[in-house]
Amino acid sequence: MIKIKAKNVDVFYGKKQALYNIGLDIEENQVTALIGPSGCGKSTFLRCLNRMNDVIDICSVKGEILINDFNINDKSCDVVRLREKIGMVFQKPNPFPKTVYENISYGPTIHGMAQSKQEMDEIVETSLKKAALWEEVKDRLHEPGTGLSGGQQQRLCIARAISVRPEVILMDEPCSALDPIATAQIEELIDELKKEHTIIIVTHSMAQAARVSQNTGFFHLGHLIEHGSTDKIFKNPDNTKTQDYITGRFG
Amino acid sequence: MGEAPHTVKSYEEELKNLNANIIKMGSACEDSLGKAIQAITTRNSDIAETVIRDDEKIDKFETLVEQQVVNLIALRQPMAIDLRETVTALKMSSDLERIGDLAKNISKRTLLLNENLPKNLVDALNRVSTSVQKQLKSTLDAYLERSASMAVNVWESDEQIDDLTNLCMQEVIKYLKEDEKNLDDGTHLLFVTKNIERIGDHTTNVAEQIYYLVKGEYLEGERPKGTEPIVTGEK
Repeated sequence: MIKIKAKNVDVFYGKKQALYNIGLDIEENQVTALIGPSGCGKSTFLRCLNRMNDVIDICSVKGEILINDFNINDKSCDVVRLREKIGMVFQKPNPFPKTVYENISYGPTIHGMAQSKQEMDEIVETSLKKAALWEEVKDRLHEPGTGLSGGQQQRLCIARAISVRPEVILMDEPCSALDPIATAQIEELIDELKKEHTIIIVTHSMAQAARVSQNTGFFHLGHLIEHGSTDKIFKNPDNTKTQDYITGRFG
Repeated sequence: MGEAPHTVKSYEEELKNLNANIIKMGSACEDSLGKAIQAITTRNSDIAETVIRDDEKIDKFETLVEQQVVNLIALRQPMAIDLRETVTALKMSSDLERIGDLAKNISKRTLLLNENLPKNLVDALNRVSTSVQKQLKSTLDAYLERSASMAVNVWESDEQIDDLTNLCMQEVIKYLKEDEKNLDDGTHLLFVTKNIERIGDHTTNVAEQIYYLVKGEYLEGERPKGTEPIVTGEK
Protein backbone atom coordinates (compact mmCIF):
# COMPACT_ATOMS: atom_id res chain seq x y z
CA MET A 1 0.00 0.00 0.00
CA ILE A 2 1.21 3.49 -0.80
CA LYS A 3 1.76 5.63 2.30
CA ILE A 4 3.29 8.70 0.72
CA LYS A 5 2.76 9.96 -2.79
CA ALA A 6 4.94 12.81 -4.08
CA LYS A 7 3.64 14.44 -7.26
CA ASN A 8 5.46 17.04 -9.37
CA VAL A 9 7.52 18.32 -6.46
CA ASP A 10 9.79 21.28 -7.26
CA VAL A 11 11.93 22.89 -4.59
CA PHE A 12 13.75 26.21 -4.86
CA TYR A 13 16.32 27.80 -2.61
CA GLY A 14 15.81 31.40 -3.67
CA LYS A 15 16.19 31.31 -7.45
CA LYS A 16 18.14 28.10 -7.46
CA GLN A 17 16.08 25.02 -8.18
CA ALA A 18 17.06 22.07 -5.97
CA LEU A 19 14.45 19.49 -7.01
CA TYR A 20 12.82 19.02 -10.39
CA ASN A 21 9.40 17.46 -10.80
CA ILE A 22 9.86 14.63 -8.33
CA GLY A 23 7.25 11.88 -8.45
CA LEU A 24 7.72 9.08 -5.96
CA ASP A 25 5.46 6.57 -4.24
CA ILE A 26 6.55 5.31 -0.84
CA GLU A 27 5.15 2.02 0.37
CA GLU A 28 3.76 1.54 3.83
CA ASN A 29 5.75 -0.53 6.34
CA GLN A 30 8.72 -0.69 4.04
CA VAL A 31 12.11 0.93 4.15
CA THR A 32 12.83 3.26 1.24
CA ALA A 33 16.43 4.36 0.78
CA LEU A 34 17.32 7.59 -1.00
CA ILE A 35 20.80 7.58 -2.48
CA GLY A 36 22.84 9.93 -4.63
CA PRO A 37 25.94 12.12 -4.53
CA SER A 38 26.18 15.12 -2.21
CA GLY A 39 23.95 17.98 -3.30
CA CYS A 40 21.66 15.75 -5.38
CA GLY A 41 18.57 16.78 -3.42
CA LYS A 42 17.88 13.62 -1.44
CA SER A 43 17.93 15.36 1.97
CA THR A 44 15.91 18.26 0.56
CA PHE A 45 13.30 15.76 -0.57
CA LEU A 46 13.32 14.04 2.82
CA ARG A 47 12.75 17.40 4.51
CA CYS A 48 9.74 18.03 2.24
CA LEU A 49 7.99 15.08 3.85
CA ASN A 50 7.55 16.76 7.25
CA ARG A 51 7.71 20.36 6.02
CA MET A 52 11.12 20.89 7.60
CA ASN A 53 11.97 23.16 4.66
CA ASP A 54 9.47 25.67 6.12
CA VAL A 55 12.15 26.78 8.57
CA ILE A 56 14.40 27.91 5.70
CA ASP A 57 13.19 31.37 4.64
CA ILE A 58 14.34 31.26 1.04
CA CYS A 59 13.06 27.74 0.45
CA SER A 60 9.85 27.21 -1.47
CA VAL A 61 8.17 23.90 -2.23
CA LYS A 62 5.74 23.34 -5.10
CA GLY A 63 3.72 20.29 -5.99
CA GLU A 64 1.80 17.78 -3.93
CA ILE A 65 2.91 15.48 -1.17
CA LEU A 66 0.09 13.18 -0.16
CA ILE A 67 0.37 11.34 3.11
CA ASN A 68 -2.63 9.07 3.68
CA ASP A 69 -4.10 10.91 0.65
CA PHE A 70 -3.86 14.29 2.43
CA ASN A 71 -1.76 17.00 0.79
CA ILE A 72 0.62 18.19 3.50
CA ASN A 73 1.48 21.29 1.47
CA ASP A 74 -2.15 22.39 1.80
CA LYS A 75 -2.76 25.52 3.89
CA SER A 76 -5.08 23.57 6.19
CA CYS A 77 -2.25 21.26 7.25
CA ASP A 78 -1.36 21.51 10.96
CA VAL A 79 2.42 21.27 10.91
CA VAL A 80 2.70 20.34 14.59
CA ARG A 81 0.31 17.41 14.10
CA LEU A 82 2.16 16.52 10.90
CA ARG A 83 5.49 16.29 12.72
CA GLU A 84 3.87 14.14 15.38
CA LYS A 85 2.98 11.70 12.62
CA ILE A 86 6.29 12.02 10.80
CA GLY A 87 9.29 11.59 13.10
CA MET A 88 12.84 12.40 12.15
CA VAL A 89 16.32 11.19 13.10
CA PHE A 90 19.35 13.18 12.05
CA GLN A 91 22.93 12.48 11.02
CA LYS A 92 24.46 13.49 14.34
CA PRO A 93 22.80 12.21 17.48
CA ASN A 94 21.14 15.30 19.01
CA PRO A 95 19.64 14.36 22.38
CA PHE A 96 18.24 17.23 24.46
CA PRO A 97 20.56 18.35 27.27
CA LYS A 98 18.22 16.60 29.67
CA THR A 99 17.95 13.19 31.28
CA VAL A 100 17.38 10.01 29.30
CA TYR A 101 13.83 9.92 30.69
CA GLU A 102 13.06 13.53 29.78
CA ASN A 103 14.38 13.03 26.27
CA ILE A 104 11.66 10.46 25.72
CA SER A 105 8.87 12.07 27.76
CA TYR A 106 9.19 15.49 26.07
CA GLY A 107 7.19 14.64 22.94
CA PRO A 108 4.39 12.68 24.65
CA THR A 109 4.09 15.54 27.17
CA ILE A 110 3.62 18.30 24.61
CA HIS A 111 1.21 16.14 22.63
CA GLY A 112 -0.67 15.29 25.86
CA MET A 113 -0.33 11.57 25.37
CA ALA A 114 -0.06 10.50 29.01
CA GLN A 115 -2.59 11.11 31.76
CA SER A 116 -0.46 9.94 34.70
CA LYS A 117 3.13 9.39 35.76
CA GLN A 118 2.55 5.65 35.38
CA GLU A 119 1.39 6.04 31.77
CA MET A 120 4.43 8.17 30.99
CA ASP A 121 6.73 5.57 32.59
CA GLU A 122 5.19 2.99 30.27
CA ILE A 123 5.70 5.14 27.17
CA VAL A 124 9.35 5.73 28.14
CA GLU A 125 9.98 2.05 28.77
CA THR A 126 8.22 0.86 25.58
CA SER A 127 10.00 3.45 23.43
CA LEU A 128 13.40 2.54 24.85
CA LYS A 129 12.65 -1.16 24.42
CA LYS A 130 11.60 -0.66 20.81
CA ALA A 131 14.81 1.28 20.24
CA ALA A 132 16.75 -1.65 21.76
CA LEU A 133 18.21 0.64 24.42
CA TRP A 134 16.20 -0.26 27.53
CA GLU A 135 18.59 -2.89 28.91
CA GLU A 136 21.53 -0.50 28.64
CA VAL A 137 19.88 2.54 30.26
CA LYS A 138 17.18 1.25 32.61
CA ASP A 139 19.40 2.08 35.61
CA ARG A 140 20.49 5.44 34.19
CA LEU A 141 17.13 6.96 33.28
CA HIS A 142 17.80 10.11 35.27
CA GLU A 143 21.32 10.69 34.03
CA PRO A 144 21.96 13.11 31.13
CA GLY A 145 21.24 11.67 27.67
CA THR A 146 24.38 13.37 26.42
CA GLY A 147 26.45 11.09 28.67
CA LEU A 148 25.63 8.02 26.57
CA SER A 149 27.91 6.68 23.82
CA GLY A 150 27.36 7.88 20.24
CA GLY A 151 25.48 4.75 19.23
CA GLN A 152 23.35 4.85 22.38
CA GLN A 153 22.60 8.54 21.81
CA GLN A 154 21.38 7.77 18.30
CA ARG A 155 19.13 5.00 19.62
CA LEU A 156 17.91 7.46 22.24
CA CYS A 157 16.98 9.83 19.42
CA ILE A 158 15.16 6.99 17.66
CA ALA A 159 13.36 6.18 20.95
CA ARG A 160 12.45 9.87 21.24
CA ALA A 161 11.12 9.84 17.67
CA ILE A 162 8.98 6.73 18.19
CA SER A 163 7.65 7.84 21.61
CA VAL A 164 4.88 9.83 19.90
CA ARG A 165 4.01 6.80 17.75
CA PRO A 166 4.68 8.36 14.37
CA GLU A 167 3.47 6.62 11.23
CA VAL A 168 6.56 7.56 9.30
CA ILE A 169 10.19 7.91 10.42
CA LEU A 170 12.60 9.96 8.32
CA MET A 171 16.27 9.18 8.82
CA ASP A 172 18.95 11.45 7.43
CA GLU A 173 22.22 9.46 7.41
CA PRO A 174 21.53 8.06 10.87
CA CYS A 175 24.69 5.94 11.00
CA SER A 176 27.32 8.17 9.46
CA ALA A 177 28.75 9.12 12.87
CA LEU A 178 28.63 5.59 14.28
CA ASP A 179 31.02 2.65 14.44
CA PRO A 180 30.17 -0.63 12.65
CA ILE A 181 28.69 -2.28 15.74
CA ALA A 182 26.43 0.67 16.55
CA THR A 183 25.55 0.81 12.83
CA ALA A 184 24.54 -2.85 12.85
CA GLN A 185 22.37 -2.23 15.92
CA ILE A 186 20.58 0.65 14.18
CA GLU A 187 20.14 -1.42 11.02
CA GLU A 188 18.66 -4.27 13.05
CA LEU A 189 16.39 -1.70 14.68
CA ILE A 190 15.26 -0.33 11.31
CA ASP A 191 14.26 -3.87 10.35
CA GLU A 192 12.16 -4.16 13.50
CA LEU A 193 10.65 -0.67 13.27
CA LYS A 194 9.34 -1.14 9.75
CA LYS A 195 6.70 -3.52 11.13
CA GLU A 196 4.96 -0.55 12.69
CA HIS A 197 6.36 2.44 10.81
CA THR A 198 7.13 3.47 7.27
CA ILE A 199 10.80 4.39 7.05
CA ILE A 200 12.65 6.62 4.62
CA ILE A 201 16.39 6.73 4.99
CA VAL A 202 18.94 8.92 3.28
CA THR A 203 22.33 7.25 3.19
CA HIS A 204 25.68 7.65 1.52
CA SER A 205 26.51 4.03 2.16
CA MET A 206 25.41 1.98 -0.81
CA ALA A 207 25.93 -1.18 1.18
CA GLN A 208 23.65 0.16 3.90
CA ALA A 209 20.93 1.06 1.39
CA ALA A 210 21.20 -2.46 -0.03
CA ARG A 211 21.09 -4.05 3.43
CA VAL A 212 18.20 -2.17 5.03
CA SER A 213 15.81 -1.09 2.30
CA GLN A 214 13.21 -2.77 0.12
CA ASN A 215 12.95 0.17 -2.29
CA THR A 216 15.59 2.61 -3.45
CA GLY A 217 15.45 5.95 -5.21
CA PHE A 218 18.51 7.41 -6.91
CA PHE A 219 18.76 11.21 -7.08
CA HIS A 220 21.16 13.17 -9.26
CA LEU A 221 21.36 16.95 -9.71
CA GLY A 222 17.86 17.42 -8.34
CA HIS A 223 16.23 14.75 -10.49
CA LEU A 224 14.92 11.39 -9.40
CA ILE A 225 16.76 9.26 -11.93
CA GLU A 226 15.45 5.85 -11.01
CA HIS A 227 13.24 4.32 -8.37
CA GLY A 228 12.47 0.66 -7.84
CA SER A 229 13.01 -2.40 -5.72
CA THR A 230 16.39 -2.37 -4.01
CA ASP A 231 17.03 -5.80 -5.42
CA LYS A 232 16.64 -4.54 -8.98
CA ILE A 233 18.55 -1.27 -8.43
CA PHE A 234 21.62 -3.05 -7.08
CA LYS A 235 21.62 -6.06 -9.39
CA ASN A 236 20.37 -4.68 -12.66
CA PRO A 237 19.40 -0.99 -12.71
CA ASP A 238 17.68 0.34 -15.84
CA ASN A 239 19.50 3.66 -15.98
CA THR A 240 23.19 4.02 -16.87
CA LYS A 241 23.60 6.88 -14.39
CA THR A 242 22.28 4.70 -11.58
CA GLN A 243 24.66 1.92 -12.57
CA ASP A 244 27.62 4.30 -12.83
CA TYR A 245 26.86 5.69 -9.38
CA ILE A 246 26.37 2.44 -7.50
CA THR A 247 29.36 0.77 -9.13
CA GLY A 248 31.68 3.68 -8.37
CA ARG A 249 32.09 5.00 -11.91
CA PHE A 250 30.94 8.55 -11.27
CA GLY A 251 32.82 11.71 -12.17
CA MET B 1 33.28 -3.90 -20.73
CA GLY B 2 31.78 -0.82 -22.31
CA GLU B 3 31.06 1.22 -19.16
CA ALA B 4 32.91 4.31 -17.98
CA PRO B 5 35.97 3.43 -15.89
CA HIS B 6 35.76 3.16 -12.09
CA THR B 7 36.92 6.08 -9.99
CA VAL B 8 39.15 3.64 -8.09
CA LYS B 9 41.68 2.52 -10.70
CA SER B 10 42.88 -0.58 -8.84
CA TYR B 11 39.28 -1.90 -8.77
CA GLU B 12 39.03 -1.31 -12.51
CA GLU B 13 42.30 -3.24 -12.97
CA GLU B 14 41.08 -6.16 -10.87
CA LEU B 15 37.90 -6.52 -12.92
CA LYS B 16 39.84 -6.27 -16.18
CA ASN B 17 42.25 -8.88 -14.93
CA LEU B 18 39.42 -11.26 -14.05
CA ASN B 19 37.93 -10.74 -17.49
CA ALA B 20 41.31 -11.39 -19.13
CA ASN B 21 41.77 -14.63 -17.20
CA ILE B 22 38.38 -15.94 -18.32
CA ILE B 23 39.30 -15.14 -21.91
CA LYS B 24 42.65 -16.88 -21.55
CA MET B 25 41.01 -19.86 -19.87
CA GLY B 26 38.42 -20.02 -22.65
CA SER B 27 41.05 -20.01 -25.38
CA ALA B 28 43.01 -22.72 -23.53
CA CYS B 29 39.83 -24.84 -23.57
CA GLU B 30 39.23 -24.10 -27.24
CA ASP B 31 42.81 -25.13 -27.96
CA SER B 32 42.55 -28.36 -25.95
CA LEU B 33 39.26 -29.35 -27.54
CA GLY B 34 40.65 -28.71 -31.03
CA LYS B 35 43.76 -30.74 -30.29
CA ALA B 36 41.81 -33.58 -28.64
CA ILE B 37 39.66 -33.93 -31.75
CA GLN B 38 42.67 -33.67 -34.04
CA ALA B 39 44.48 -36.33 -31.99
CA ILE B 40 41.63 -38.84 -32.12
CA THR B 41 40.74 -38.36 -35.79
CA THR B 42 44.32 -38.35 -37.05
CA ARG B 43 45.49 -40.91 -34.47
CA ASN B 44 48.28 -38.69 -33.14
CA SER B 45 49.48 -39.71 -29.65
CA ASP B 46 51.85 -36.74 -29.27
CA ILE B 47 49.01 -34.27 -29.60
CA ALA B 48 46.86 -36.35 -27.23
CA GLU B 49 49.62 -36.18 -24.63
CA THR B 50 49.84 -32.40 -24.99
CA VAL B 51 46.12 -32.14 -24.24
CA ILE B 52 46.54 -34.30 -21.12
CA ARG B 53 49.44 -32.13 -19.93
CA ASP B 54 47.67 -28.85 -20.69
CA ASP B 55 44.71 -29.67 -18.48
CA GLU B 56 46.74 -28.62 -15.48
CA LYS B 57 46.97 -25.09 -16.88
CA ILE B 58 43.20 -24.94 -17.23
CA ASP B 59 42.76 -26.20 -13.65
CA LYS B 60 45.10 -23.48 -12.43
CA PHE B 61 43.04 -20.84 -14.20
CA GLU B 62 39.98 -22.06 -12.33
CA THR B 63 41.75 -21.69 -8.97
CA LEU B 64 43.03 -18.25 -9.96
CA VAL B 65 39.60 -17.04 -11.05
CA GLU B 66 38.05 -18.38 -7.85
CA GLN B 67 40.61 -16.51 -5.73
CA GLN B 68 40.05 -13.29 -7.68
CA VAL B 69 36.28 -13.57 -7.31
CA VAL B 70 36.51 -14.18 -3.56
CA ASN B 71 38.83 -11.18 -3.22
CA LEU B 72 36.52 -8.95 -5.24
CA ILE B 73 33.49 -9.93 -3.18
CA ALA B 74 35.33 -9.56 0.12
CA LEU B 75 37.18 -6.35 -0.63
CA ARG B 76 35.17 -4.48 -3.28
CA GLN B 77 31.56 -5.57 -2.74
CA PRO B 78 30.74 -5.33 -6.45
CA MET B 79 27.26 -4.11 -7.43
CA ALA B 80 25.07 -4.28 -10.55
CA ILE B 81 27.10 -5.05 -13.72
CA ASP B 82 30.26 -5.56 -11.65
CA LEU B 83 28.46 -8.10 -9.48
CA ARG B 84 27.20 -9.92 -12.55
CA GLU B 85 30.71 -9.88 -14.08
CA THR B 86 32.12 -11.37 -10.90
CA VAL B 87 29.51 -14.06 -10.38
CA THR B 88 29.47 -15.00 -14.07
CA ALA B 89 33.26 -15.36 -14.10
CA LEU B 90 33.06 -17.82 -11.21
CA LYS B 91 30.37 -19.92 -12.87
CA MET B 92 32.03 -19.80 -16.29
CA SER B 93 35.35 -20.93 -14.86
CA SER B 94 33.74 -24.01 -13.40
CA ASP B 95 32.12 -25.00 -16.72
CA LEU B 96 35.32 -24.26 -18.64
CA GLU B 97 37.28 -26.42 -16.21
CA ARG B 98 34.91 -29.33 -16.95
CA ILE B 99 35.42 -28.77 -20.67
CA GLY B 100 39.16 -29.10 -20.07
CA ASP B 101 38.63 -32.33 -18.13
CA LEU B 102 36.47 -33.83 -20.85
CA ALA B 103 39.02 -32.94 -23.55
CA LYS B 104 41.67 -34.61 -21.42
CA ASN B 105 39.50 -37.72 -21.04
CA ILE B 106 39.03 -37.90 -24.82
CA SER B 107 42.82 -37.77 -25.21
CA LYS B 108 43.42 -40.48 -22.60
CA ARG B 109 41.05 -42.76 -24.51
CA THR B 110 42.76 -41.79 -27.78
CA LEU B 111 46.01 -43.28 -26.45
CA LEU B 112 44.21 -46.60 -25.83
CA LEU B 113 42.56 -46.89 -29.25
CA ASN B 114 43.77 -49.09 -32.09
CA GLU B 115 45.24 -47.50 -35.19
CA ASN B 116 42.46 -48.09 -37.68
CA LEU B 117 38.97 -46.79 -37.24
CA PRO B 118 36.33 -47.00 -39.98
CA LYS B 119 36.17 -43.83 -42.10
CA ASN B 120 32.43 -43.24 -41.64
CA LEU B 121 32.90 -43.35 -37.86
CA VAL B 122 35.74 -40.82 -38.01
CA ASP B 123 33.53 -38.65 -40.25
CA ALA B 124 30.65 -38.81 -37.77
CA LEU B 125 33.00 -37.87 -34.92
CA ASN B 126 34.35 -34.98 -36.97
CA ARG B 127 30.87 -33.69 -37.71
CA VAL B 128 29.72 -33.52 -34.12
CA SER B 129 33.02 -32.19 -32.82
CA THR B 130 33.25 -29.49 -35.51
CA SER B 131 29.82 -28.35 -34.42
CA VAL B 132 30.83 -28.27 -30.73
CA GLN B 133 34.06 -26.43 -31.53
CA LYS B 134 32.09 -23.81 -33.45
CA GLN B 135 29.69 -23.53 -30.53
CA LEU B 136 32.53 -22.98 -28.05
CA LYS B 137 34.11 -20.36 -30.28
CA SER B 138 30.83 -18.48 -30.68
CA THR B 139 30.30 -18.60 -26.93
CA LEU B 140 33.69 -17.07 -26.21
CA ASP B 141 33.01 -14.45 -28.89
CA ALA B 142 29.67 -13.69 -27.21
CA TYR B 143 31.57 -13.17 -23.94
CA LEU B 144 34.10 -10.87 -25.60
CA GLU B 145 31.37 -8.86 -27.31
CA ARG B 146 29.00 -9.01 -24.34
CA SER B 147 26.38 -10.10 -26.85
CA ALA B 148 23.15 -11.62 -25.55
CA SER B 149 21.92 -12.42 -29.07
CA MET B 150 25.07 -14.41 -29.87
CA ALA B 151 24.60 -16.29 -26.59
CA VAL B 152 21.01 -17.12 -27.56
CA ASN B 153 22.21 -18.46 -30.94
CA VAL B 154 24.57 -20.83 -29.13
CA TRP B 155 21.83 -21.88 -26.76
CA GLU B 156 19.58 -22.74 -29.68
CA SER B 157 22.28 -24.65 -31.55
CA ASP B 158 22.54 -27.24 -28.76
CA GLU B 159 19.70 -29.11 -30.45
CA GLN B 160 21.78 -29.74 -33.56
CA ILE B 161 24.61 -31.12 -31.44
CA ASP B 162 22.24 -33.59 -29.80
CA ASP B 163 21.21 -34.85 -33.23
CA LEU B 164 24.80 -35.17 -34.49
CA THR B 165 25.70 -37.00 -31.27
CA ASN B 166 22.96 -39.53 -31.93
CA LEU B 167 24.19 -40.12 -35.48
CA CYS B 168 27.69 -40.66 -34.14
CA MET B 169 26.41 -43.03 -31.46
CA GLN B 170 24.68 -45.06 -34.21
CA GLU B 171 27.98 -45.36 -36.07
CA VAL B 172 29.75 -46.53 -32.90
CA ILE B 173 27.03 -49.10 -32.23
CA LYS B 174 27.29 -50.36 -35.81
CA TYR B 175 31.07 -50.71 -35.28
CA LEU B 176 30.50 -52.58 -32.01
CA LYS B 177 28.13 -55.02 -33.68
CA GLU B 178 30.52 -55.76 -36.55
CA ASP B 179 33.05 -57.72 -34.55
CA GLU B 180 33.55 -58.77 -30.95
CA LYS B 181 37.15 -57.53 -31.17
CA ASN B 182 35.77 -53.99 -31.50
CA LEU B 183 34.38 -54.12 -27.96
CA ASP B 184 37.24 -52.23 -26.23
CA ASP B 185 37.58 -49.50 -28.86
CA GLY B 186 33.84 -49.20 -29.30
CA THR B 187 33.33 -48.64 -25.59
CA HIS B 188 35.96 -45.89 -25.59
CA LEU B 189 34.32 -44.32 -28.60
CA LEU B 190 30.93 -44.28 -26.88
CA PHE B 191 32.50 -42.34 -24.04
CA VAL B 192 34.34 -40.04 -26.44
CA THR B 193 31.07 -39.24 -28.22
CA LYS B 194 29.30 -38.64 -24.96
CA ASN B 195 32.16 -36.42 -23.77
CA ILE B 196 31.90 -34.27 -26.88
CA GLU B 197 28.19 -33.88 -26.31
CA ARG B 198 28.78 -32.92 -22.69
CA ILE B 199 31.29 -30.28 -23.78
CA GLY B 200 28.41 -28.91 -25.84
CA ASP B 201 26.22 -28.89 -22.72
CA HIS B 202 28.83 -27.02 -20.68
CA THR B 203 29.20 -24.54 -23.53
CA THR B 204 25.45 -24.00 -23.50
CA ASN B 205 25.66 -23.38 -19.72
CA VAL B 206 28.28 -20.73 -20.37
CA ALA B 207 26.03 -19.16 -23.02
CA GLU B 208 23.23 -18.95 -20.45
CA GLN B 209 25.60 -17.26 -18.01
CA ILE B 210 26.64 -14.72 -20.65
CA TYR B 211 23.00 -13.93 -21.30
CA TYR B 212 22.54 -13.25 -17.58
CA LEU B 213 25.70 -11.16 -17.49
CA VAL B 214 24.47 -8.91 -20.30
CA LYS B 215 20.74 -8.77 -19.58
CA GLY B 216 20.62 -9.20 -15.80
CA GLU B 217 17.89 -11.79 -16.22
CA TYR B 218 17.79 -15.50 -16.86
CA LEU B 219 17.23 -17.06 -20.26
CA GLU B 220 13.66 -18.24 -20.03
CA GLY B 221 12.22 -21.42 -21.43
CA GLU B 222 13.24 -24.99 -21.99
CA ARG B 223 16.66 -25.55 -23.49
CA PRO B 224 16.12 -26.79 -27.08
CA LYS B 225 16.77 -30.54 -27.27
CA GLY B 226 17.33 -32.86 -30.20
CA THR B 227 15.89 -36.32 -30.62
CA GLU B 228 16.16 -38.50 -27.53
CA PRO B 229 19.62 -40.03 -27.28
CA ILE B 230 20.01 -43.74 -27.94
CA VAL B 231 22.37 -44.14 -25.02
CA THR B 232 20.79 -42.20 -22.21
CA GLY B 233 22.98 -40.06 -20.05
CA GLU B 234 22.73 -37.12 -17.70
CA LYS B 235 21.42 -33.95 -19.20
